[in-house]
Amino acid sequence: MAKILIPTPLRQYTDKKDTVEVGGATVGELLNALTTEHPDLRRHLFNDEGKLRSFVNVYLNDEDIRYLSKDKTEVGATDTLTIVPSIAGGSLV
Amino acid sequence: MIRIEQAAWDLMVAHAERTFPNECCGAMLGKVDGVDKTVTEAVAIENAFTGEQGARYEIRPEDLIAADKAARSRGLDLVGIFHSHPDCDAYFSKTDLENSCPWYSFVVLSIKGGKFDHANSFLPDPDQTRAEPEPVQFPGS
Repeated sequence: MAKILIPTPLRQYTDKKDTVEVGGATVGELLNALTTEHPDLRRHLFNDEGKLRSFVNVYLNDEDIRYLSKDKTEVGATDTLTIVPSIAGGSLV
Repeated sequence: MIRIEQAAWDLMVAHAERTFPNECCGAMLGKVDGVDKTVTEAVAIENAFTGEQGARYEIRPEDLIAADKAARSRGLDLVGIFHSHPDCDAYFSKTDLENSCPWYSFVVLSIKGGKFDHANSFLPDPDQTRAEPEPVQFPGS
C-alpha cells in the first residue's frame, strides 16, 4: 500500500485523514483507488473530462510525475504520492 | 474568517517590504476550524517567476511541499498563501485568479513606497473564474 498525502483543505473529503493508504501499481491506479474510496474528492482533483485539474500536480516521492510516466508511473509499496497545487499570480491585470 | 497572529504577520510584512519593488510570496501555517482559520506561522518562499517580478510571482511546487511538511511536523496545517502587490492595491487580479487554487486562502498585501499599506484575503473558486473576499483580521486591522 502506497501513501497519499492529502492537502489540508481536502481532508474534509477523506474523513479528516491527512494520509490515505491505497493499493495500486501506477499513479493512475492509486488516484482512482483514492477517489473510489473518497468519491467527494474526485471533483476537486479532476475536471469534467476526467483529467487532473490544471492546477493539480502529483509528486512521486520528490519527483513530478509529468517528468516520469505521468499516470502510468509505477508505484512501489513504500512510495509516497503528494498532491500539491500550482500557485502563481501577480498584480498584472 | 482568517485571523493572522502577530509573529506570522510581522514576517509577512517584513518579507513583502524587503522584496519591494518586486512581489513576494509565502505560505501561512496554522489551524483550520470549519471556515475559521488561524495563522500562527508564516514561511517566506522564494519568488520563482523567471521574468520581471514587479508584477508576478510563482511558487515552486517543491517549496510548497516543504512548507506542508514543515506544517505537518509541527502539528499545523497549510492554510493559505500570501503575496504582495508593490505600489498597487490588494485586489485579486486576473493573473492571480487564473493561476490560483481553490483550496487555500490567498492574502494579498499592498506595499506602497516600500511600506505596508493594506491587505485583503480571497477565496478563489474551482473554475478560476471568480474569487470571493474573505474577512481577514491582522494586528492593527
